[in-house]
Amino acid sequence: MSKDVNPVRLEIFHNRFRSIAEEMGVALKRTAFSPNIKERQDFSCGIFAAGGELVAQAAHIPVHLGSMPLSVASAVEATSFAPGDMVLLNDPFAGGTHLPDMTVVAPVFAENNEGPCFFVANRAHHADVGGNSPGSMSLAETIFQEGLVLPPVKIWKKGRIQEDLLGVILKNVRTPSEREGDFEAQFMANLTGIRRLKELIAEQTMEEVSYYSQALRDYSERLLRVAISRIPPGTYSFHDFLDDDGLGSGDILIDLKLTIEGEEALLDFSGSADQVQGSINAVRAITLSAVLYCFRCLLPQDIPTNDGLLRPLRVKTRPGSILDASHPAAVAGGNVETSQRIVDVVLGALSRAIPERIPAASQGTMNNLTVGGFDPRREEPFTYYETLGGGMGASREDDGEGGVHSHMTNTLNTPIEALETSYPLLVREYSFRRGSGGRGARKGGEGLVRELELLADARGSILSERRRLSPYGLQGGENGRPGKNLCKKDGNWEELPGKFNCELKKGNILRVETPGGGGYGTPED
Amino acid sequence: MNLVGVDTGGTFTDFIFRDDGEWKIYKAPSTPDNPARAVLGGLEKIAGDGGQKVVHGSTVATNALLERKGAVTALLTNRGFTDVLEIGRQARTELYNLFYRREAPLIPGELRFGVRGRLLADGREIESLDEQEIRQVARAMRSRGVESVAVVFLYSYLNPGPEQRAAEILREEGFAVSPSHEILQEFREFERTSTTAVNAYLVPRMEGYLGRLEKNLGGENLAVMQSNGGRTRSSVARREPVRTVLSGPAGGVVGAYELGKISGYRRLMTLDMGGTSTDVALVDRGLPLTTETIMGGQPLQVPIIDIHTVGAGGGSLARLDEGGALRVGPESAGADPGPICYGRGEIPTVTDANLALGRLVPELFLGGDMKLAADRIWPYLEKLSLEAGLEVEELAEGICSVANASMERALRVISVERGHDPGEFSLFVFGGAGGMHAAFLARSLNIPRVIIPPYPGIFSAIGMLLADVSRDTSRTVLIEAEELKTRAEELFAPLEKVILREMWSEGFSREELGLERSVDMRYRGQSFELSVPYSPDFVDEFHARHRQRYGYYREGRPVEVVNLRVLGWGRPEKPSWPRSEKPQENVPGEAFYASRPVVFGGRIEETRLYRREELLYGNRIPGPALILEYSSTTVVPPGVEAFVDPWHNLVLEVDR
Repeated sequence: MSKDVNPVRLEIFHNRFRSIAEEMGVALKRTAFSPNIKERQDFSCGIFAAGGELVAQAAHIPVHLGSMPLSVASAVEATSFAPGDMVLLNDPFAGGTHLPDMTVVAPVFAENNEGPCFFVANRAHHADVGGNSPGSMSLAETIFQEGLVLPPVKIWKKGRIQEDLLGVILKNVRTPSEREGDFEAQFMANLTGIRRLKELIAEQTMEEVSYYSQALRDYSERLLRVAISRIPPGTYSFHDFLDDDGLGSGDILIDLKLTIEGEEALLDFSGSADQVQGSINAVRAITLSAVLYCFRCLLPQDIPTNDGLLRPLRVKTRPGSILDASHPAAVAGGNVETSQRIVDVVLGALSRAIPERIPAASQGTMNNLTVGGFDPRREEPFTYYETLGGGMGASREDDGEGGVHSHMTNTLNTPIEALETSYPLLVREYSFRRGSGGRGARKGGEGLVRELELLADARGSILSERRRLSPYGLQGGENGRPGKNLCKKDGNWEELPGKFNCELKKGNILRVETPGGGGYGTPED
Repeated sequence: MNLVGVDTGGTFTDFIFRDDGEWKIYKAPSTPDNPARAVLGGLEKIAGDGGQKVVHGSTVATNALLERKGAVTALLTNRGFTDVLEIGRQARTELYNLFYRREAPLIPGELRFGVRGRLLADGREIESLDEQEIRQVARAMRSRGVESVAVVFLYSYLNPGPEQRAAEILREEGFAVSPSHEILQEFREFERTSTTAVNAYLVPRMEGYLGRLEKNLGGENLAVMQSNGGRTRSSVARREPVRTVLSGPAGGVVGAYELGKISGYRRLMTLDMGGTSTDVALVDRGLPLTTETIMGGQPLQVPIIDIHTVGAGGGSLARLDEGGALRVGPESAGADPGPICYGRGEIPTVTDANLALGRLVPELFLGGDMKLAADRIWPYLEKLSLEAGLEVEELAEGICSVANASMERALRVISVERGHDPGEFSLFVFGGAGGMHAAFLARSLNIPRVIIPPYPGIFSAIGMLLADVSRDTSRTVLIEAEELKTRAEELFAPLEKVILREMWSEGFSREELGLERSVDMRYRGQSFELSVPYSPDFVDEFHARHRQRYGYYREGRPVEVVNLRVLGWGRPEKPSWPRSEKPQENVPGEAFYASRPVVFGGRIEETRLYRREELLYGNRIPGPALILEYSSTTVVPPGVEAFVDPWHNLVLEVDR
């Protein structure tokens, strides 16, 4: 370690930065209006150095890990900030991930400083950003069908919200009043972060805060380097597939050559498939997030998550591929589905190197379910969006957990009593999908069953994976059962594809059965 | 009748009562296999003339829950939803743990039964209850040895009909039954199910335990401390044990609130630093309650004193991690091996660091009952200091600072994060170790003063004697605020009826009790509610509180009322708090114990040590000083002054 870093101050600053990021999260979550943010906690808050490097992120959603810094960098590049400014963006090809994720970036100015000394930013998943289907998470062929695209734009100038710009945005979404409330919560979260950082600077001096923001990044880097150096050196290959793009692509290859060399890791994804027509293309930011998540899992729970973790990792992707898509690819599902498969592939490669520390595949999908239409009881439009948990993979020591979100997401379900009160839907079943976890010396976790009856005509869409190809077992453990999407119309059950949009009538029943986790080790018996 | 506060702890059972205008204390070793033995034995020991009336902080419910030693419990719920209890909110509590497992549910899958009897979101029935089916389920339960049953149907807060009928049948079949509408009439089925399951799980154990105490004391002489900060009669605690799971810690916060009221400090942050963790709570002219407690992995939606816990205490272990940061806790030396200075530990703890700095007096630890092995600490501290590249004193102060940083974060969560300025509060410290850290915490948070009450080591038991009797109830209504304006009387009436009846059973008539209405509100579309006292201006009050807590409000947005609450409270017989009339400037000679070197900010300062029990009202002691008492040491750093107030609180005035 560097000679001047005081181990006590380091830990104290770790606490302070983390407190600030967490407090931003509390402000956002408790005042947001989207169920996605308030109940499902699909958001992240972070503090960034003047150059856009992540200093601290509260433990919110892993899929935002590697991608938030790109948003900040893109905002910094596009604008010159004055005090009281905030930049809004969601363009996946300019630092975003997919359109519903709206990121708001704000500068922190200290006294006597010309430029910003830090940035705070938060990202939240909005329930609708326009496009061809309610919820903005449906099948699409280009980004233009997925909703409103915002390059970095100033939504606040010198402390004042830009009403004209906000007006344009609100005219392009299905639930404007909810959006407005969510933006408000996002602005407040940033103001909270700015206030706390300024207090910290006033208390500790700019020099000290800036010094330890750097020291904390070095600290995380050191921890990751130690962790990588414990992995046997060598090249480990692994591949897996996405089911399809929903538009008839068939298997989509994700291929990795992982090379461990001393304290560094090189991840070469360039053998992966070309980008596809359907909306499961991932931009590079998502690939980075997934890689970062996997390596973060090799470290203790409570260390700072920041830019230092990226330094020992080199990630190679091929522009125009499924993991580094180019404009104007459709990308809504890259964030939620492809990210999960990238994790499966990275962990799969690691399992070849350190089999005792890596579990079998988890469900590998977020089972995105959207139902939108007009609610005759309330006489207003509604959009219900939810993701469903499934089985986690088993490991050498333990069975996999069931009915839970894994890897890149961690959102809550919507309580049945809240869901039925807010939407014209009746939940008929919510239970474990027994027998779906892969057999093994340790058993994979069970998937879930969610069955919904429509009480009004509506448009439904599902974006899901692992409907054809199973989550893998390891070391002789069996695969988990793939998921199933079903619909009952006119008394008959019909199996639906993994990705679809469809018109639903009052009385129709949608049933989603989510995948089980893979087993670990040869089953006894 | 003698009024006795009895607090069962892990090691000791504390008894406190007033005798001849003085507090009397008795400590007996706890008997965890049968906690009633220590309680009854101790009560016999201190019995004087006349009978005893007991206010009890029981850990029986807490331990049964945390150690999974409750009854064999079943769940009866709507078919299709038997797994709701286990799935929970489908999220994991650790994001980067590839091997995450949730806490097992209290009721395993094979004891969860789904039956007909489904309501819609407006309370209408779309599937009726099948009584035959319930009887069949009852047979299955009996064959599996079930003692207690939680009954939870969807929307029972709107229409308890099916749940009531199912509960009746199961009671006829001989089970102890906890129907959710009797425990909690609020929406969000998972949290309600979890709360009800915890209750059902605890009922048979609490029946046995409290039944035994009642037999010896008489039911009318036994009151139990509830987690909401009020006491209630034993029969309520037997029926609704879920309301007593935080009995002990609630006692401390109530004590702070009540003593604060008596001595003029109405806005407090409490700090209870123990061996493995520290509890903090914010008292802003009233007891802080939350309905979002999670205990032993189980959410509890009943009102519970809002206590925030961090894994930093006297026994927290210090180490240097691989990245070169000094970490303190959450791992703790526990009772075995304990800190190095207790004789067996080998990893430095916060207690060892305080000893190294001279802030603990080895020969007076626990009044001299326990000798500290001061010499043992040095080799271990030296080893760690070499690794860290620090001087030994620097390391020892660093260990304290890192522990303080964790506690500071906890205090920020309950104050700053909720829109309060710590500068407007006093830090109220009880428990063993807090006095050594309080002044430093106050400084870093700009808290102007620290208050350490008399007998901080058994303050929870004192709090129990000072607590009001209280009962609360609630109901989800989910209506527009405008609608409540016209229907308030009609909607609050049934809740108040329940509370009046309950308080009548507690011995309070309508004239003798206080009734407080409150409403949980949110802007339509939000998911978290703010609780606001009900008054004609309740909507304005909501906007104001939203603004205080979150920085903004929206006058135009529709406001929704989610839950109605009614709290009833009455003042039972309480001991009076002694107050001295005449201030004494001179510190009595007997109070001075010794003069010792103590490290403050890297400098060794000659520091005067005093015995707290000899100090008088009006005495002022400038820092640096240590003030010693049986179970606690208070550090008065340079620049801070301590004085004794008329109620014998030790008050530290922290420069700002």
